[in-house]
Amino acid sequence: MVELQARSLRVKIAQQWGSLGLPFLLVAVVILFSFLSPVFRTQFNFLSILRFASFIAISAVGMAFCIMAGEFDISVGSMMALVGVLGASFVPVIGGFAAVLTTIAISSFLGFVNGIFITKLKIPAFITTLGMMFVFRSLAYIYTDNVSVYIDNDFWLYMGNGRVLGIHFPIILMVLCFVGGYLMLRKTPFGRYVVAVGTNAKAAELSGIHVDRIKIAVFVMVGFFVGISSVVISANMGVANPGLLGQGYEFQVITAVVLGGTLLGGGNGSLGGALLAALILGSLRNGMNLMQVSSYWQQVVTGSVLIFAVAINRLRYTLMGQEA
Amino acid sequence: MIKFLKLYEKIGIFILIVLASVVLSIMSPHFLQVRTLLSIAAQGTYAAIIGFGMTLALTMKAFDLSVDAVLALTSVFVAIFIPMVGVPLAIVFSLLIAASVGMVNGLIVTKLGVNPLITTLAMMTIIRGIALLVVGGRQVIITDPDRVFRVIGTGRIFGIPNQIYIMLLLFAIFFIMLYHTPFGRHISAVGSNESAARISGLRVDLIKIAVFMLVSFTAGVVGIIRTSQSLIGIPTMAPDFVLVVLTVAILGGTSLAGGKGNLWGTLFAGIFISMIYYGLNLLGVQIFYQIFSVGLVLLFALFVDGIRTRYLAIAKAKGIKM
Repeated sequence: MVELQARSLRVKIAQQWGSLGLPFLLVAVVILFSFLSPVFRTQFNFLSILRFASFIAISAVGMAFCIMAGEFDISVGSMMALVGVLGASFVPVIGGFAAVLTTIAISSFLGFVNGIFITKLKIPAFITTLGMMFVFRSLAYIYTDNVSVYIDNDFWLYMGNGRVLGIHFPIILMVLCFVGGYLMLRKTPFGRYVVAVGTNAKAAELSGIHVDRIKIAVFVMVGFFVGISSVVISANMGVANPGLLGQGYEFQVITAVVLGGTLLGGGNGSLGGALLAALILGSLRNGMNLMQVSSYWQQVVTGSVLIFAVAINRLRYTLMGQEA
Repeated sequence: MIKFLKLYEKIGIFILIVLASVVLSIMSPHFLQVRTLLSIAAQGTYAAIIGFGMTLALTMKAFDLSVDAVLALTSVFVAIFIPMVGVPLAIVFSLLIAASVGMVNGLIVTKLGVNPLITTLAMMTIIRGIALLVVGGRQVIITDPDRVFRVIGTGRIFGIPNQIYIMLLLFAIFFIMLYHTPFGRHISAVGSNESAARISGLRVDLIKIAVFMLVSFTAGVVGIIRTSQSLIGIPTMAPDFVLVVLTVAILGGTSLAGGKGNLWGTLFAGIFISMIYYGLNLLGVQIFYQIFSVGLVLLFALFVDGIRTRYLAIAKAKGIKM
């Protein structure tokens, strides 16, 4: 009886990770840095944490769909660089608004290409996107000849730096993307199909879902959100650099989704968790920057957080008595 | 079709090499000279050596993306150790460090149950970070007064660069290990059906850890060869090299489906990539095109592997004997 109680307690803890564990972790990180650094606890800084988190979180929406569908995309960082330099270079020709739309369109198309490779040629996603990661990045270099593209268009810059009622525009975009993503996941058939495909692709196929189309669609979604992030981040930096834009970005985005409680390998996941995880990553990065932790240490920390996140997920599902 | 695919599996890479040779000898009159050919082969050793390790990993249906970071870590450590303990011990120690990274990879994969891709992706960042931390982001210059260390990567025996011997030696070792020892068969068994391997009593975890150690070891060897050429320990050495290594292993005919490794293919694919580099140098294009073209070659190799896997599956379903 006692054993049973202990078991049900463990199961409960495992189940409550999303609603208890992550907020706890976030609060812990915030409290820790508030003690360590006086600058950290200012209102101004909290806004900049939110803004930094939004850079990760917007793409995390697309990535969450992708991972829930049982796939994976590590080309997002390079994709961001490629579409960023392409879009920014179009600004003088077609104007800011059209250039932003073009950027998003191009990155959606690149996601489409990824999806075609993975579904039609049956090449595993991680290796396809690994190849694409290098192809996109080198195309960005080739296109620009390794010269940064400067951005001096008001509309484009507004995407990264503008404010509405004192709140940065990227933060508002982040909220919009999450609401949109949430509605899509929970209130449309598409969302259910994505989860079904990720849980059991074969069963989904047999019950009449076009698995390939769903998979291609999630890769297009990844591209779409990466396009938005690309505009936001390059606007924030004021420049699109083929080498620096999106360097290590795939890492942060995947970490956010996985730490948020979505299982690698597919199945139902959590968008809210991904948002919280992005906030945790943002606070961590911001705090470490304020503490002047060297970027080399930060690399070590980010890598460890990813492994930690996957291990935690694994543990949760073992506790719940399921194979992860 | 199946016959063709079988044939391709065996000789595909040779066809590519012959094609590339024809193109290159038209492009440059210097191509068909012993000196050029040797230098192409020598350049190909880096990818091929780590490719041997990666071939084992792919045979086991795993990956290691941390190899280029391990390469840099070894470079840094050998440079630090040489003034402290002398050349031979420095090499031994830094290779041990490389192998221990592999052990950590293996432990995370087996004991924490994190998938190899994510583990080594994270380790790539972590190890690169550690390499930078150890030297504070600087490069470490190696003074090599007795000219002992630089011989490894720059010396020649009978006119052939040393690194080619090192590659052939490692090839022989890996070849015997993979095809003629129980350990090699166990690797294939884990790659083709892990749970079956587990049920039949193989110590799957140990095998996995050992393979990850071997991959990191090969990365360490290349780290030492390249450091002995530059005589500088460089924490940012060989960025993106993992792409080349994976390309070489997959292009060589080792399938992503696991269970079957093709070391000969890996060896020659290393040379093929080196030929591409040579051709690009002839064209005088910028370095970005190298990565771009390797990426394209990888996608091509994946494409072929995908078709092969699919046809073999169909053939199996139809009951055609292979």
